[in-house]
Amino acid sequence: MAELKLLLKYRDVPGIENIDVWESCGGYEGLKKALTMERSAVIDEMKISAVRGRGGAGFPAWIKWSGVLKHTDAPHYLICNGDEGEPGTFKDRELMLKLAHQLVEGMIIAAYATNTDKGYVYIRGEFVEPAKSVRKAIDQAYAKGYLGRGILGREDFNFDLYIHMGAGSYECGEETALMSSLMGERGQPRLKFPHGALPVDAGVWDSPTLINNVETYSCAPHILRNGGAWYASMGTERSKGTKIISVSGHVKKPGNYEIELGTPLMEVLDLAGGVIGGKLKAIIPGGSSVPILPAEKCVGVNMDYESCQAAGTMLGSGGFMVFNEKTDIVILMRRTAEFYAHESCGKCTPCREGTRWMFKILDRIVSGSGQPSDIDLLLNVCDQIDGRSYCPLGDAAAWPIRAGIKNFREEFEYWITHKKSPIGGDCVPPVPYRINPALIPLS
Amino acid sequence: MDNENSNSITPETGERTSCKSEGRFSPNAIAELDEIITHYPNKKAAMLPALWIAQREYGGYLTREAIREVARLLGRPKAEVEGVATFYSMYNFKPKGKHHLEVCTCLTCGCVGAYGVVHKLEEMLGIHLGETTSDGEFTLSEVECLDWCEAGTVIQVGNKYFGHVTKDNVEMVLEQLRESDDHTSPSLADDIVKILLPKGEPKSKVE
Ligand SMILES: Cc1cc2nc3c(=O)[nH]c(=O)nc-3n(C[C@H](O)[C@H](O)[C@H](O)COP(=O)(O)O)c2cc1C
Ligand code: SF4
Ligand code: FES
Repeated sequence: MAELKLLLKYRDVPGIENIDVWESCGGYEGLKKALTMERSAVIDEMKISAVRGRGGAGFPAWIKWSGVLKHTDAPHYLICNGDEGEPGTFKDRELMLKLAHQLVEGMIIAAYATNTDKGYVYIRGEFVEPAKSVRKAIDQAYAKGYLGRGILGREDFNFDLYIHMGAGSYECGEETALMSSLMGERGQPRLKFPHGALPVDAGVWDSPTLINNVETYSCAPHILRNGGAWYASMGTERSKGTKIISVSGHVKKPGNYEIELGTPLMEVLDLAGGVIGGKLKAIIPGGSSVPILPAEKCVGVNMDYESCQAAGTMLGSGGFMVFNEKTDIVILMRRTAEFYAHESCGKCTPCREGTRWMFKILDRIVSGSGQPSDIDLLLNVCDQIDGRSYCPLGDAAAWPIRAGIKNFREEFEYWITHKKSPIGGDCVPPVPYRINPALIPLS
Repeated sequence: MDNENSNSITPETGERTSCKSEGRFSPNAIAELDEIITHYPNKKAAMLPALWIAQREYGGYLTREAIREVARLLGRPKAEVEGVATFYSMYNFKPKGKHHLEVCTCLTCGCVGAYGVVHKLEEMLGIHLGETTSDGEFTLSEVECLDWCEAGTVIQVGNKYFGHVTKDNVEMVLEQLRESDDHTSPSLADDIVKILLPKGEPKSKVE
């Protein structure tokens, strides 16, 4: 198993953002094929492919698709989660910027399969260029009759696709918060199953809603064109297909690499040209929310959902961040905590208060005022947040900090005892010389 | 909740910008909003788009008039509009400099030199993070991951992205910006509004 380009296959074809070029690469053939099939047969292909959601949680896509189709009343809605905000992840950006037709085609297939006539691509406000590409792709698809009324002559299939731009909020990537934002509210999450309804039963505007990640929809054209069994022939037993891994940090060739699921983690590192600036210290394999792996634990781990979990981390969104030996884990964790404190939506107490406390304690440690009890205090705060918060952002804030302490406890102790970085003066990120009051209002 | 004295989002520093004397959307903006409203099952859902239009119409930040106008056009309480707007970090409530530099200092960028870039910019511009130069040309901010990490350090200036910025080449960024006539905040808002509109002129609907 190694690099295997499926979604990124045509990334570098000149003019691929134009519909004609996309069609000459087999584009919209998956859609045409889907339209010759029953709706439920399209979902069967998705089921055979066993493709799992690429937004982080890895939930089987077909289950959601069939959950929406089974509702015969009321309007259905289709949402693409293009809010990509997870630090270290930048695959959706590239998929939208360069391969917007692949996404649009995937969404039209999903709309057909779920009998939906309205869809939204929710794109984070910062992504102006990627959003322009999606705009262009949608306009071209309308002109060609792939969107609108009576798609490709099918009287019974209408689908309108709109773009909704966010305005700066990581939490809006959480699916129910995204729906709040789409409905014109603050980007705060909604009550979840089993206390509330599943989105496929009552999502946005209380109607059956399908929400998938950009990469998930982008798989659909390939699955329909080549068949679910073909897709399922790639990957491991439980993690099928390919995954785009966004490699960044201390590597020679950072960028997006598409691999067959199950590829060894160290091979991904090699693909990106290996570590630069010193020896490998640690890797965060799936975005800022997943536990960090120290170098010695990276060997033997494969990039699939199960192997990552067995190693104590997660495949997550595929944000693969590489850190060399100059990295000060305590300062890195302080910055991670700062991110979550800044992005907490404030709805529930464990996360709203807890993330701020984590940041304050870590900030105290790297300001030279850490106390020996601070490490246990941090772990205690993590326990108070994890599993007790209203949405998974809280859990995601606790996991990295807990893993940082678990794997690098001696660095925390060094900071507290010596009041300086164990790495020395040229550590990265650098020792903060001043807390920035503008970023987090600590009231 | 139409409290005229509410000052929670009044710009601290001053002058109400010129463009909207009676605090109303231009006819073009109303036509755009009318088109966008048709994308949703109800008017309320057009809240974020309406705020983007307002950010452009009112010169790059949301004044009290802007909030009132959005509330009026969407038929929602002013307090609700203000509540929504203040949740999102990309809506401004104070005027920003002509060029708004947002430096990503998040995990990857932070590890490949973002703080060096920030400190160099602070030095060159003579301001701290969160401040605007006295001539109103530059505002310097720190932001969370812009998801362009492979090009760290990344700086976003509205619809422009600068990648692979280091403390040694950041001067070029300032030089390029000095030559640009773009006003970051309103032109970013304008780009976003255009993205929301299908190609072609917005179809104005008579209500
Ligand atoms: C705090 C938070 C942020 C999230 N951000 C994103 C995101 O930016 N993009 C995304 O696709 N999913 C994100 N998710 C996951 C979504 O809630 C949801 O699981 C996903 O969109 C479902 O699509 P999928 O099944 O195709 O993965 C986030 C979840 C949480 C808790
Ligand atoms: S865990 Fe609670 S405060 Fe944190 S983002 Fe989710 S709902 Fe908001
Ligand atoms: S960390 Fe700077 S763009 Fe992601």
